[in-house]
Parts: sequence; C-alpha cells; structure tokens
Amino acid sequence: MSSRARALLGFLVAGLLLAFIPELTEAIDLPRFYVIFLFTVFFWVAQASSWNVLTGYSGYFSFGQGAWYGIGVYTVAVLTGKHGWSFVTALPVAGLFALVAGLLLGVVVFRLRRLTGEIFALTTLAIAFVLASLARISPAIDGGTGTFMTGTPLPSFLGEFTTAMYRLTLVVMLLTVLASYLTHDSRLGWGLFSIRDDEPVAGGLGVPVFRYKMVALGINAFFAGLMGGVWALQLGFVTIDDVFNIRVPLFVILMTVLGGLGHWMGPVVGAVIIYTLSDRLNSAGLTDVNQIIIGSLLVVLALAVKEGLYVRLRDRWVTTLVTFVGVMAITTVFDITRSLISDFAISMVATVLMMLIPKGVWDRVRGRDRPDGGEGPPVGMETMAEAGK
Amino acid sequence: MDLLAQGLVTGVLIGGLYALMSLGVSLSWGALKIINLAHFSFILLSAYLVYQLTVSFEVDPLLTMVVVLPLFFVVGSLMQIFFHIVNIDEFKSLIVTFGIFIILQSLMQTIWSADFRRIGSGLNSYESGSIFIGGIALPLPSMMAFIAALIIAIGMSLLLSRSYFGKAVRAVAQDEEMARAFGVDTNRVAVILSGLSAAFSALAGVFIAVGQTIFPGLAVSWFGVVFSVVILGGLGHTVGALTAGVIVGSAAGAAAVLWGPLAAPLVTFLILIAALLFRPQGLLTSRSVA
Repeated sequence: MSSRARALLGFLVAGLLLAFIPELTEAIDLPRFYVIFLFTVFFWVAQASSWNVLTGYSGYFSFGQGAWYGIGVYTVAVLTGKHGWSFVTALPVAGLFALVAGLLLGVVVFRLRRLTGEIFALTTLAIAFVLASLARISPAIDGGTGTFMTGTPLPSFLGEFTTAMYRLTLVVMLLTVLASYLTHDSRLGWGLFSIRDDEPVAGGLGVPVFRYKMVALGINAFFAGLMGGVWALQLGFVTIDDVFNIRVPLFVILMTVLGGLGHWMGPVVGAVIIYTLSDRLNSAGLTDVNQIIIGSLLVVLALAVKEGLYVRLRDRWVTTLVTFVGVMAITTVFDITRSLISDFAISMVATVLMMLIPKGVWDRVRGRDRPDGGEGPPVGMETMAEAGK
Repeated sequence: MDLLAQGLVTGVLIGGLYALMSLGVSLSWGALKIINLAHFSFILLSAYLVYQLTVSFEVDPLLTMVVVLPLFFVVGSLMQIFFHIVNIDEFKSLIVTFGIFIILQSLMQTIWSADFRRIGSGLNSYESGSIFIGGIALPLPSMMAFIAALIIAIGMSLLLSRSYFGKAVRAVAQDEEMARAFGVDTNRVAVILSGLSAAFSALAGVFIAVGQTIFPGLAVSWFGVVFSVVILGGLGHTVGALTAGVIVGSAAGAAAVLWGPLAAPLVTFLILIAALLFRPQGLLTSRSVA
C-alpha cells in the first residue's frame, strides 16, 4: 500500500472513531462539555490548517484569516436569518463566497510585480477591516445591529444541537486537514515550497507561480469560510466586533507557528495545544493572564523552536510518548485534577517542556544517533528529498 | 459647505496626529527593517501613563512628557538590543512584535480594565479649547499634535539629511553590512533610532490622552490609519508621513461629513489598499530614508 493510501485510510479510521464520541460520552456519562471542547478544537484545527496551506507552504504571510472566516459566518447568518435559506444550502455558499473573495484578492495582488511578503501581509490585514466597515455600513449585511442565529433549524439526521455541531465541525475539519495533507505531498505542494524558498528561481524553473499561489489562497479562503459558516451556529448572536476581531488571525498564526509552519501536521498539533491551554486557563479564572501567556509563547517559540514543535515531537518521539503517557497515567490514576481535559493539558505541557530543551544540549545528552548529526530535514523539505528518490 | 470645510480642517489637523503615530513605525521599518506592531501598544500605553500620572499627581497632562518620553526612549532602545541579540529578520519581526503587542494589550486591559478613561476637564485645560478662524473651529489638542508632528517631521528630515548621525542611518538603511565595513557603529545607530521611534509613538500617546477617551480596543483601530500613512508616505520618510497623514486625515474627515462617521474607516482602508497596490514605494520618494 502506498503511503498516500495508508494516510487516506488513516483519515477514514480517525473520522469514524471520532464520529461516535458524542454517543460514547453519553454512554459513560461524561459531561456535555467534553463534546463542546472537542468541536472547538476541530474548529481551530481547520482554521489553522487552512491558513497553513497559504502561509506555511507558499511563505506569503496572511493576516486575512479573519476576513475569510467572517465572510463564511456572515454568509450563513444573512442567508438563513434574512432570506430564509436552510442551513444546508447556505453552508456551501459560505465556502464559495470566501473562495471568490480570496481569488479576487489574489488576481489583483499576485499580478503585482513589486509585491513583497510584507506588502501582502498588510493588504490582507486591511481586507478584514474593510469588510468589517462594509458590514457595519450596509444594513443588508449587518448595519451594526447583529443577527440572531439561535432559531436556525438543523437537519434532523444530525441529532440535537451539540451533536450536530460536533459532526459538522468534524467533517469540515477532516476535509480541511485532508486538503492540507494532499497539497503537502503533491506537485502543487512542492511547487509552493519552492515558491517559499525562492520565487524567481521557482518561476524560472517552470513552476506555474501565479496559478499555484492562487490555488493555495483559494484553499485557504474556501475552508476558512466553510468552517466560519458552521461556526455561525455556535456564535448564536453574530456581531461585527465578535466576527471581525483580531482573535481568529492571532490564534491561527500562533497555533501554526507553534506547531510548525509548513508541515501539514504542524497546525493540528499547535491548535490542540494552544486551545487546550487557553481553555484550561480560562476555566481556572485566569482570563487576563491567558493572553499574556499566549503572547509570550508566540515570542519564545518563534525565536527558540524555529522548525515548530511537530518536528521535534517526531524526532524525539520516544521522549514524547513516555512523557505524555507517563504524566497522563499519573494524573488520571491519582485523580489530581478531577477533569480529563486538565490531565490532558498537564501532560501536554510536560511534553512541550521536554521539547524546549535546545538542540545542542539534546544532542550532547543523547549522543548523535544520526549519521548527519541533525534532527531531520527542515519542515517541508523532506517532501522534496522524497521526491528526488 | 461650512460643514465640509470644517470636516476638512479637522481632518488635516488629525492628519498631524496620524503622522505622529506613524513616524515610529515608518522609521523602524524603513531604516531597521523591523515592522514593529508593538508601536501601537506603545502609543496606547503612553496615553494610559499620561492619564494615570495626571490623575494621580494632578499635574498638567503635557508636563508628564518629561517622564514618559525618556521612559519610552529607553524601552525602544532595549527592544532593539533584544532584537539584535535574537538576530531578527523583517518577516520574523512581524510575528515577534505581534506577540509583544498582545502581551502589552492584555497588560493594559488588566491594569486599567476595558472601561473608557478620560482625563477630567478640571485637570485638562486643553481638551475643550478651540481657536476660531472665520467660523471654523481648530480644536486645541489636534492643533498641538499637528504642530508637534510638523516640528518633528522637519527636524528629523534635517537631522537625517544633514548630520553625521543621519548619514549613518541612511547608510544602515541602504546596506547595513557595507555601512559596518565603512566604520559606522550600526548597532549604536539602530539602538538610538529605535529609541527615538518609541519616543515619537509615546508623544502621539500624550496628545491622544489629552484629546480623546482611551480604552484598550483603541490600538487595533489604528492599524489601518497608521499603515496607510506609513505606506503612502514611504518607508522611513518623515515629511512623507506628514503629507500622507494630512491626505488620509482630510479624506477620512470629508468622508465622515459626506457619508457619515462610519464611512471614515472604510475610506482609510481603501486608501491603504490603493497605496499598497499602486505606490508601495510611497508618494514622494527618491531616496530610501529622509
């Protein structure tokens, strides 16, 4: 079986296993909160993964995540709330609108000869603010009053609200990660990596630079919008300040930079870690400290673990497994925190701390067990190496 | 018509404040290749400090400058030393300063809460003052900010074009390694310039504390205006920043009068996008930094 077929099978199995967690929690009488926690993680995994396809793979730093997400939220809110569409028909339109908006931006921006990464970043930053102003001015979109989503009927086969949200976010999340994975290990992915490394050379060697960047931006916008559309239901009351704020782009950047920019697993790992941590801090009543810790993490990790946590977790997988399972076992058996999520968070933090040990120290302690003395190729580059084999 | 004229004049004066807010970002991006998002929280932090000092010690708000400006000069210098130690590039600076921005934002939110703060009119004699010329009111706080921006823009421009320090800054902006090879102490130049940039941002904060109500969410709302001004004015161009500030300010002022106050941010951001797309090198540019 090829590695891609194996991975696809893996996605299918993971999806099937995850699909029945709501029933499982009911069967063993866990609080409903666990399901809500999980689908919020799914939301962030999808957002971060879609962002990674553009920024991680092609190297074009985007602040535009909030714009694509916001378009998705508002499409569903306006179509179901003001025009009486059903949710199921409105949801694909949310993805499509975000896709169209993304491609429109791409057509203008990627045609510019003088475009640099910084100019692109600031343009995407401005897009979200322009959309927010438009929504505020136009009564057809919002007009500053907000839209109630609580009465939106959902198809009955999805079950009651929490279960339905869980299933919807799960499907969109799996599709997003799958798209991110398939892009990573494909001609498109290698093309994007080469654009990131040296765009003029990539173009000179025959990579269709413009088309690949458009596709990456399209994937980013489409899945962010689709997940935004689902999330409109969870928001309940959609307002401009809630939707177009700095939170979504901020968390997405943070999660991906932490997990590893450029590898498809990076944002998945990052999203799980950051969301779990921020959820625990919030529930411990440390909301104010939350952002401070997260900001500090961004600074430290951007400077200290340049290749991202995922690569380190993979290279030190024995340590990862032992630390995580060990701490998890201790906390669960002695029931230290009385909450599975807190146990999970503690084990995770312990594992991450093990990963923070600098490379130099690590190699000295463990001895160099690789012929090249390194810790694996830089993120993304391994696909190029495999392609050459 | 009078209303439009008033809107334009107010806009031009606010443009001075915009320029003052943008100078720090512009200088550090243009000359040091650091896109410093932390400047947005510097401006707000300085405004909060001015508010706190004025209220606690019941002094004239403009007097607090004596404390606030040197303080931020030191903060800015230390920040550059930190960036130098961790060897940061343009792209990474965006991420790292974004992290610093978040930290400072939540610190301010923790200390001063999300409430609206304003220096009481008993302590602030400038707030409600206006000068009238032919039926058009010139509000005192924006007037002062405009004059300060004018002095700093011209002063910095002269400093950069005439002095040895200015020559060194321009050399660093053009090619840092070459400048070092020719004996310029590039680290010292960078540290001083970063300190100056932070002090300019702090000065903008002083006028904001004097002229308006402050709250933590304010910093994010400045992104569009400041980057419009920085890009339109040209990276590292102080006079360009002032010109761009006036253009953006008066356009937003006119839009507010013609289409209502909600249209003002839309116009600002459309100017930013237009500037990014058509004149990413700035409006009146020939040299890299001046």
